[in-house]
Amino acid sequence: MSDPHEHRTPVALKGLSADDPHLQPAAPNPQLVEKVIAICFVLGALCVAGFGACYWINAQAWKLGATMGFGLFFLGVGLVAWGKYLMPQGPFVEERHTLANSVADRDAFAAAIVERGGGVVQRRKLLGGLLGGGLGIFGVVAMFPLLRSLGPLPKTTLQHTDWAKGSYVVDQSGRRVQVGDFAIGSIATVFPEGTQDSDRGQAVDQTVLIRVSNEAFTTMKGRESWAPKGYVAYSKVCTHLGCPVGLYEQELQLLVCPCHQSMFNVRNGAIPQFGPAPRPLPQLPLYIDSSGFLRSQSDFHEAVGPGFWEHQ
Amino acid sequence: MTSTVLKRCFALSLLSLFCAGPAIALVGSAQASTKTTPYQTTRANSGTPNSTHVTKNSSGVIISYGNSSITYRAPSAALATLGQALYQENCASCHGTEANGVPASGVSGAFPDLVGLGPATITFWINSGRMPAANPRSVEAVRRIPRLDNGQALAIAAWIDTLAPGYPLVPYPHLKNANVSDGAALFALNCASCHTIEGDGDALAYGTSSPSLRHVPAIQVAEAIRTGPGNMPRFTGNLSDAQVNDVVKFVTTAIQHPQNIGGFGLGGLGPVAEGFVGLALGVGVLALVGFWVGERD
Amino acid sequence: MTDVINTQRSKREALGPYGRVGKTLGELDDRLGVAKGGRTFMDKIFPDHWSFMLGEIALYSFVILLVTGVFLTLYFTPSQSYITYHGSYLPLDGQKVSQAFASTVNLSFAVRGGLLMRQMHHWACDIFVGAIVVHMARVFFTGAFRKPRELNWTIGTTLLILAILNGFLGYSLPDDLVSGTGIRIAYSIILSIPVVGSYLGFLVFGGNFPGTAIIPRFFILHCLIVPAIIVGLVGAHLFLLVRQKHTQFPGEGRTEKNVVGSPMFPVFMAKTTGFLFVVGGITALLGAFAQVNPIWQFGPYEASRISYAVQPDWYMGFLDGALRIWPSWSFHNWGHTIPFEVLIPAVILPGLIFNLAFVWPMLERKFTNDHEIHHLLDRPSNRPKRTAAGVAVLTFVIMLFVASSTDVLAKFFDVSLNTMLVAMRVLVIISPFIAYPITYKICRELQGFVGGGKRKTPNVVTRTAEGQYVATPSPVYVDDVHRGLPATPVPTFITEEPEDAGENGVRVVDR
Repeated sequence: MSDPHEHRTPVALKGLSADDPHLQPAAPNPQLVEKVIAICFVLGALCVAGFGACYWINAQAWKLGATMGFGLFFLGVGLVAWGKYLMPQGPFVEERHTLANSVADRDAFAAAIVERGGGVVQRRKLLGGLLGGGLGIFGVVAMFPLLRSLGPLPKTTLQHTDWAKGSYVVDQSGRRVQVGDFAIGSIATVFPEGTQDSDRGQAVDQTVLIRVSNEAFTTMKGRESWAPKGYVAYSKVCTHLGCPVGLYEQELQLLVCPCHQSMFNVRNGAIPQFGPAPRPLPQLPLYIDSSGFLRSQSDFHEAVGPGFWEHQ
Repeated sequence: MTSTVLKRCFALSLLSLFCAGPAIALVGSAQASTKTTPYQTTRANSGTPNSTHVTKNSSGVIISYGNSSITYRAPSAALATLGQALYQENCASCHGTEANGVPASGVSGAFPDLVGLGPATITFWINSGRMPAANPRSVEAVRRIPRLDNGQALAIAAWIDTLAPGYPLVPYPHLKNANVSDGAALFALNCASCHTIEGDGDALAYGTSSPSLRHVPAIQVAEAIRTGPGNMPRFTGNLSDAQVNDVVKFVTTAIQHPQNIGGFGLGGLGPVAEGFVGLALGVGVLALVGFWVGERD
Repeated sequence: MTDVINTQRSKREALGPYGRVGKTLGELDDRLGVAKGGRTFMDKIFPDHWSFMLGEIALYSFVILLVTGVFLTLYFTPSQSYITYHGSYLPLDGQKVSQAFASTVNLSFAVRGGLLMRQMHHWACDIFVGAIVVHMARVFFTGAFRKPRELNWTIGTTLLILAILNGFLGYSLPDDLVSGTGIRIAYSIILSIPVVGSYLGFLVFGGNFPGTAIIPRFFILHCLIVPAIIVGLVGAHLFLLVRQKHTQFPGEGRTEKNVVGSPMFPVFMAKTTGFLFVVGGITALLGAFAQVNPIWQFGPYEASRISYAVQPDWYMGFLDGALRIWPSWSFHNWGHTIPFEVLIPAVILPGLIFNLAFVWPMLERKFTNDHEIHHLLDRPSNRPKRTAAGVAVLTFVIMLFVASSTDVLAKFFDVSLNTMLVAMRVLVIISPFIAYPITYKICRELQGFVGGGKRKTPNVVTRTAEGQYVATPSPVYVDDVHRGLPATPVPTFITEEPEDAGENGVRVVDR
């Protein structure tokens, strides 16, 4: 990249005699340094050739990397040493000229813009305004289709999950959960039947199902029927940033978010008792049907996952 | 298939020959305190005797069950007498002479009731070196070199089982029949949230921690999944024996012998370790080289 | 001149004193007029201080990023559609994975040199961002951002933001378990923006998380749009460097009106090209021996899967740390929610930090009332307030970074995770206030210490016959003798000894 204003930098036409100290190598013993550099270059060349050989025979990654790495390293060290120890040691100096131009130059530049441009615009204010307005409208309008085509509008999709009245609770393999299936202290990730393999099911509907012993469980007011036979279900989507809250500590009765360590009290409606999460994990109301299958009474009563503006 | 059945019949006949007498006596004495089922699952092939191959001894006690994925076996009842002696020596000071968690007078505090927990729980805690505990007052027991060997652990389990039979029995996974890929997916869904995806374990809430899985033998992995030791939850109904076997295979192969084709594995700490290496060995070394390339004043 | 043709000598003479090179340059000059500018460029002086190499680390690791990145694009499939993996890594065989993930695993296992390129790309990125930060610290603490270089400081800060952004985008592309969690968090952060958050999230992701559009979109951003902006800004950064000439530390013969150092050709060129090779070599060695981001061990991303102890790459760590330690303050009323627990640490806080960096030159001009042009650098100790303020802000960001590994620290120090987190809350807040006065005090102490940082020569102590000890300073180091020379302009020509030694005279090589 050359200096575009080089004409303002006068070039010094000056000679130095060959024995000038500025032109001597910095190394006190250049012969030795030359040998060392030669060894570096030979090693580098050998390694780089080795890299070619390794590539040819399809050797393991570390052999490729080692040969290439050492090759480049030795070539580089040799080249730096050449420049540092054997080339003219200097120091050399260059003048630094002020970048600013004379006041007259500046005025001429400003005048060119202000007087020519200003004159034109002032005489044709209407045209200028119309052009500006037109371009402005285009600028705003151009944003609309661009932004609008990128994705659908959220509508109410963030507020609901696929859990509905009577959804069968199934595990990750799609098996319906029956009342006797879980021993006390068990945990599983469950989904409303049919969504366990879909992206939305995985991301939105995922729910942790825990079977707590009756004596360890306190039901919150209004949720007395939500956890039949000790089966309690909470949304697995953390209310902080949406990580799956899959970390259950059985003796502490805590659900912990593996990302930022929010701790939710399983006994007490998953109220956060430590960490950055602001809201409890929504609880899924469950019931056991006449055949002994676990099913949901309804959807979650609030939006699952992290907070957003429209979160009720 | 037939060969395993034959083997089991052989084992059964041997067992009934050698230990029928003491077993009947001991089991009979324990009928009164049998625990109820919430500790077990009713789903088939999920750790409790609801499975395809249930073997009972002559007195009707289940001594093994399972399938082509995992065989659950009771420790030989003949060991119970030895087990009782070992128990009184090593465990009774905390768990009480009756194994009901009530220690002898003078020792205060709550200790777990072991009656009816099933042999897999007992052998896991002993074989992983967590019991006898190094410090009974600590937040949680940690893995260390076992103080008792596997035979002694089985003996203690056999004696406790005589107080009240419990499940699961000791699982013996058949890793040849496992699918490591399914295990990897199940591990990521169920296990990695505590043990990390590399199986290294880490600090959890309130001073608890998830242990590293790097050196846990297959049987103990299966025991832990089925019994949920300490703060770890149980995995019962949602994992069939075949799926547990898959997870055990994944842990004992990919986790314990990771394919680090890219060089040193950096201790499985992930981006934290990578960040330190990148900054110290990358930027640091290059800055040092730059220090050499440039001048000092 | 005789009419001898077709002899070696006449050919040489026809080409002029500088042979083929001279002839070619002449032809070039006829058409482009490059001689004068080219000569000036060859003579351009670069100061030699070692700290000026830090920016070069960033530049050259970016070169490596471009080269390795081009290789990777040839084998990566930016698609989130699912396939069943059947490849050489057995623990994944038969799993449902996205094409992005499968192609990254195949690239690592099956493509010759693929894993090395991937690992070099990742390490080069870690080094790139790290070197930018270190370079930026050098520029800040030495006052190199002052007038007339404010614009270059702004470009540099923008480059840091773009480097972090592109690092995150690239880290997300393989669609593995760990990076997928990062994308999930990014989605939630977008969601937290008041009023427009959910709309913005849907537009960026093409619908609700996870959608199928994000990997292809990240791909085009990561491989084309952001790199193109970075290349443009790096070009502008270097153009301004050349136009305004490099700063230098004050010293013998160095003034505001000159630049002392090595000429572009050949000394600087040799050193800097060698350094490029060294950066490439170190990156390749890291790629060879230090495994980075083994995505095959993490497995594919599914929104319900998670690993404990996942952290983003180190340059995102300060955000993760801030999110961990920020209290759960959420605003909820009138049917609307403002998730301050996310908005403040993840949006407002980084905004404040980077904006502080942007406006710092202006603030300093305003408060010191210094509107002069500066080409000589400050010793950090001579500007104790600026240095202390910089150290305080750096300490704050570093403590946020440390807070992103509370779990690792809790394990290491064997304390409760909860205790560790509370401790980090306290440390993050108080450590800048501790760092400021300590730095200020150290700076003031160093000001009184003449010759600090200079290489000192030992005294030679001799014992005289009378038993008297005499200390005499030993001669200065050989290297330092050369440094003592007065600087001279780069010579246009060199007068040489004639080739035949007997003759007594000099031949002047001139144009």
